[in-house]
Amino acid sequence: MLLKILRRDLQKKKSITGVLFLFVFLAAILIACGTGMISKLFQSMDYLFMKAETPHFVQMHAGEINKQEIEEWAMNHPLVSKQQTVEMLNIDGTKLLLGNKQEPEINSVMDISFVKQNDTFDYLLDLENELIHLSSGEIAVPIYYMVRDHLQIGDEVSIINGTERITFTISHFLRDSLMNPSMVHSKRFLVSDEDYQLLNTHIKESEYLIEFLLTDIKQLNNFSQSYQESPLPSGGPTLDYQTFKILNGLTEGILAVTIIFISLLLIVIAVLCLRLTILATLEEDYREIGVMKAIGINQAYMKKIYLSKYVVIAAAASMFGYLVSLWFSPLFTQNMATYLGLAPRNIVDYGTPFVAALLIYIFCIACCRMTLRKFSHISAVEALRAGKTGSISKGQSILPIYKNRFVPINLLLAIKDLCNRGRIYLLLFVVYIICTFIMIVPVNFLNTIHSSSFITYMGIGQSDLRIDLQQSEDMSARFGEILTYIEKDADVEKFTPLVVKRLKVVGSDGRLENMNVETGDMSLFPLEYLKGNLPKKENEIALSYLNSEELKKDVGDILQLEVDGKMKDLIVSGIYQDITNGGRTAKAIFPTNHEQALWYVISLNLMNDVDVPDKMQEYLKVFHPAKVTDIKGYLAETLGDTIEQLRLLTIIAIVITLGISILISTLFVKMIVVKDSSQNAILRSIGFSLRDIQGQYVIRLLAVLFAAIISGTILANTVGQNFVSALWSMMGAARIEFVINPVHAYLLCPFLLLVAVTVTTFISTNSIANNKISEMNAD
Amino acid sequence: MKTILEAKELSKFSDDKESGQILKTVNLQVKEGEFVSIMGPSGSGKSTLLYNISGMDKASEGNVILDGEEIALLSEKELSRLRLNDMGFIFQQIHLLKNLSIFDNIVLSAYLAEKNSRELINKRAIELMKKTGILSLKDHAITHASGGQLQRVAICRALINQPKIIFADEPTGALNSKAAAEIMELLIEINQTGTAILLVTHDLKVAAKTERVLYMLDGNLVGEKKLGKYQLINKELREREEVLSQWLAKMDF
Repeated sequence: MLLKILRRDLQKKKSITGVLFLFVFLAAILIACGTGMISKLFQSMDYLFMKAETPHFVQMHAGEINKQEIEEWAMNHPLVSKQQTVEMLNIDGTKLLLGNKQEPEINSVMDISFVKQNDTFDYLLDLENELIHLSSGEIAVPIYYMVRDHLQIGDEVSIINGTERITFTISHFLRDSLMNPSMVHSKRFLVSDEDYQLLNTHIKESEYLIEFLLTDIKQLNNFSQSYQESPLPSGGPTLDYQTFKILNGLTEGILAVTIIFISLLLIVIAVLCLRLTILATLEEDYREIGVMKAIGINQAYMKKIYLSKYVVIAAAASMFGYLVSLWFSPLFTQNMATYLGLAPRNIVDYGTPFVAALLIYIFCIACCRMTLRKFSHISAVEALRAGKTGSISKGQSILPIYKNRFVPINLLLAIKDLCNRGRIYLLLFVVYIICTFIMIVPVNFLNTIHSSSFITYMGIGQSDLRIDLQQSEDMSARFGEILTYIEKDADVEKFTPLVVKRLKVVGSDGRLENMNVETGDMSLFPLEYLKGNLPKKENEIALSYLNSEELKKDVGDILQLEVDGKMKDLIVSGIYQDITNGGRTAKAIFPTNHEQALWYVISLNLMNDVDVPDKMQEYLKVFHPAKVTDIKGYLAETLGDTIEQLRLLTIIAIVITLGISILISTLFVKMIVVKDSSQNAILRSIGFSLRDIQGQYVIRLLAVLFAAIISGTILANTVGQNFVSALWSMMGAARIEFVINPVHAYLLCPFLLLVAVTVTTFISTNSIANNKISEMNAD
Repeated sequence: MKTILEAKELSKFSDDKESGQILKTVNLQVKEGEFVSIMGPSGSGKSTLLYNISGMDKASEGNVILDGEEIALLSEKELSRLRLNDMGFIFQQIHLLKNLSIFDNIVLSAYLAEKNSRELINKRAIELMKKTGILSLKDHAITHASGGQLQRVAICRALINQPKIIFADEPTGALNSKAAAEIMELLIEINQTGTAILLVTHDLKVAAKTERVLYMLDGNLVGEKKLGKYQLINKELREREEVLSQWLAKMDF
């Protein structure tokens, strides 16, 4: 009997059943993938740390050390199980050539070092998580470079030092449990013991990792304290096991949490829809419920009849979601597989997503049960009396129709309904706000990054042309020639030469760090500063936002910089936004010799009557191979890939939001049409056409959409702007202001949503044609 | 008298195979200002016939011509306009819009039709409410009225656009005998103003007050009894009931 009712009900309401299934299905897939990812992440990290025997405590130190003293201290410490001191030979990125690129790592923010395989722990592993053993001439390159430069086994890595060049062949890619993540700005390259000895004779700069494995990791804090109190070296940061775990798990963890968050959002929508469907069904079956109650059918059995449908939908959707997630999960764990390597499969890999999908099912059914409590409130007499019209509405006195003289009747009925049943439309309102937000934020940001004013966030002032002279043997001489040419050029209104050098700065932990410093006259093409001003005196320096954050320096603070071999105290005059060079730059006007400059830049403005493209072509020919670009060109060249990715993201965001708004609108309209079936049949019986009634629904949805678009746009331009700024502050731009294209943001995006919702509403309300008063009476 | 409604060879097949043919080539005419009732046992197809000739439902075969327009040829919009301007409906169950007040329920279709200003429509609605004795309920919610009062509201609504014909499906079926008699008196008064009425009923007393009675059996119109206009005289009514009773007995009712 129950099965028969169930089959008939599912067949009768295919579309609503389908949409509900889809929501629970998607939520189940995502939550299963998200939890699966987290479970796999922890297992894989543990597996990698186990294979690599990751140290529990690491003290980095630049400078002299006394190995014997450290070993003695470790031997006498009850918590130390093993100790080793690893020497890393550091080289400047400008001396490293990777793969076929054969260009030095000039813009790299990474500290590059060469090491040999460790003897006792902290092993450097290959992609199979096995120990790497190298022969002479071979090198193992960190995964970070493999991914970034698409390196292959057999490619070459060269170290250049003046005219000397040492070349290695890549034989392995290296998984480093300490320095794997891209956000760790130190990378270890592994060479054979013989090659290490050879490099040791050429590279004079070294740094040490003083590593400890403890007998009891729970005592890590105590150990850390005792190390700090000891006289052992501490000229660098201290890192521990937990930090390595957080750094390794952060990227994947954030992705997994985002996926779980989306799935929770979906399940909330699914549950709200389930509630609406159940309420609509109860409303529809109001009289039948009354009849069943009157003839004494057990209430629990009636609930079972209604619940069984949702049990079937939720169970099938959760189960399918779980099964599909098993097929999908490798896509989500691809990055993890590369950086961490995956732990061998076990029952937990299948169990965790299953439990998550099961929880989705239980949550759905619990919500259905709660909604079905309404059953107890239906009295048999009331149900039989009210009949097909269901519960009586209380909104009759709101906005009386007969008091209105001018507003068209369909518009009036639509507004009245919105006033009467505002709460029902709240879900739709929230979804439309989210859709507007997700659509407008990328559109606005894409437009911002496209506009020439984006140069503000790139640490350079507005100028007509920019000439970049990259590193080469005769760079200094050619720079002089270019300057001479420009000085004589009558078309040039003003120009300023800038020299970029890599200097040593004393970091927040007292350690010397590399920093790119641009020197020259900063007043000709000024920047906008987040705080303070441009450097005007020789003892002043302006820092990029990220540098100020990392060095913990604010305007007015003193910064120690090594200039031409001497330490110099500089006052921070201002902080600006810069996303170039990893966001870590500085600007100063002190004089410095031009030796070892990384590159030169000349910014210039042309006279008013000079054609900029023509002049650009002329300079390109004359100054070849120097790069000559206008601001737009510079932006396109520097941010080309980012802009392309953002454009793709924007398109995806638009498609997703349109998809969600269509899906939710369809579901909502279908449900509300079921709920309103008797009222619509009455309207049709007194002369309202299908179009009239459809028009009322369109007005209601568009009114909700219109309010949501306004709210969503305000949110996008405030919260969205702050969100983008927070995101980009990691790259160096902390206060992004949207450059809004009103046609895109205020016309095109709302228009797309309006069209999607209008068409969806018209299509979804076609079923009103089936609401016949004759059928109501036949019942 | 001009024919206002004509059904030619009207058939209706059920989607459910077991029920088969509900209407079997029915022919029917209603003249201008005529008051016709259809009687017959339950399941004989009376209501189906009413809904099919009023365009509420679509006949499987045959034609329905309402005031010269063949309704099968009309678009959904044209049919809605025809329902709005030329037809009125009264049902056994009170089909009123639950979130509108009584007065709004009455004026709604007239506002849609836009034949008069809203001021005039409101005046007419008040006149109708006065006539039907429900003016005191003007601003009330539909929950604050009895079944008989709500049926009067439905009658006011059916009359607001001055239709040419009213279709009534058991309009007194859910009412007590006093309320039923009052509603019938109202319908007779309406009919006397020239509006044709086609009414479906089980009730002999109701049918006796109509001008012509049609008898339906198994989807066919199998008999017709002309009683003439009823003049609201009790003695005459008893005679009409007697005549009708004998005729129905012959029909095996």
